[in-house]
Amino acid sequence: MTEIRNQPLPRARQERLVVRELSGELLVYDLDRNKAHCLNQTAALVWKRCDGQTSIAEMCRVLEQATGAPVEEQVIWFALDQFTRDHLLEKRVNRPADVHRLSRRALIQRVGLAVSIPLVVSVVAPTVFASASCTQLCPGGLGQCAVPGCQGSCSGIPLTCGP
Amino acid sequence: MDKIDRLGWAAGISFVSYGVRVGIRVNKREILDQLAERFPPGWKPSRARVVERLYSLIVGGEGARLGVRPFNILYGNVEKLLRTLDLDEFLDVFESDVKLHVAAGARRRVFVHAGVVGWRGQAIVIPGRSFSGKTTLVAELLRAGASYYSDEYAVLDGNGLVHPYPRPLSIRENGKRVKYRAEMMGAKSGVTPLPLGLVIVSRYKVGARWRPRSLSVAEGALAMIENTVSIQRQPETVVETLQRAIPNATVLKGTHGEAKQVVDFILDHFDSTVIKH
Repeated sequence: MTEIRNQPLPRARQERLVVRELSGELLVYDLDRNKAHCLNQTAALVWKRCDGQTSIAEMCRVLEQATGAPVEEQVIWFALDQFTRDHLLEKRVNRPADVHRLSRRALIQRVGLAVSIPLVVSVVAPTVFASASCTQLCPGGLGQCAVPGCQGSCSGIPLTCGP
Repeated sequence: MDKIDRLGWAAGISFVSYGVRVGIRVNKREILDQLAERFPPGWKPSRARVVERLYSLIVGGEGARLGVRPFNILYGNVEKLLRTLDLDEFLDVFESDVKLHVAAGARRRVFVHAGVVGWRGQAIVIPGRSFSGKTTLVAELLRAGASYYSDEYAVLDGNGLVHPYPRPLSIRENGKRVKYRAEMMGAKSGVTPLPLGLVIVSRYKVGARWRPRSLSVAEGALAMIENTVSIQRQPETVVETLQRAIPNATVLKGTHGEAKQVVDFILDHFDSTVIKH
């Protein structure tokens, strides 16, 4: 197997994920963590190439073909960092020491707007009760929350209790 | 047999709503009519002897013994959900709980916590939790001529169409919930399922100006997932349903102050720019 400086090439996690494509973006639901992720088009392109065979340089070329603009390796690493954070890779991929971590803003300043920055937006899936309306308006006034599944005490204006 | 089963029950009923079987037993027969008004929409009586959720309601009322406070007590299966002297609160909590369990257990529908109206053959869905201002937006849209679908759940079928959830609007007035039928606000209730045209992800903030930004449809799906009752129970069904529902929708996000600002924006832009198809 090809390696990036003594570590395996990135491989997208396949198990326990529900993956659906929506207008070029990916909606990914993690069954283990009950989190949903939205990968924008650039992140989706990179993630699809995380097959354990494709090097970072090759991923750059794929993105260059898709966008028609030059792509730096920093862009790929920015995506991989997010995939690692969100457990979307089979194994963690560490940046080489000479590839510095950049913030989103710094990356935009560096690569400009020709290439859309890969982004992963995530939400935690609610439990049944957390998705409920805790809106019985605390009919008893201040005190313990009266709604099943809503915890805490009634406070604030208007009186409400949170899930 | 649980202790609760040995209490004296005067009457009972079981019904099916969205495929979920619910049983109810009460200590006073006359309360059943009041309860029926609060069942989820589309309920039908059932002869099922086995139910997925059994409610046991002890109504205090006037028959309580001298010196005993006439508490109303609500059980969901064997769990005590509420003990209160206030009958309205008792009925409200029952209604809220039964609707939530039906929404969570529905087999062929996906329930998203949201307000919904119909406008020119498409559904406008406003996902959000309590106090996000969705009922106020729904009411304002109805005053502007939209048809009423729901102020509580967007009900999606397997093809991604949005169905009506016809319960009266529940509007807060002076700290109390007041129920209004759509017709009382001069609006019609929607009947036919509609394709999803617009998703408004918004939260009420005092004094905020409505300056929305567009989200991608996948981000819109994420906003729906955040408010989907059964996402943890049936994630694949939910994701597939949203994949069918949302691709042609426009998704807008922003904070809003006055509901009328949002509604005017929608009405100004609905035909020309907001709805893509």
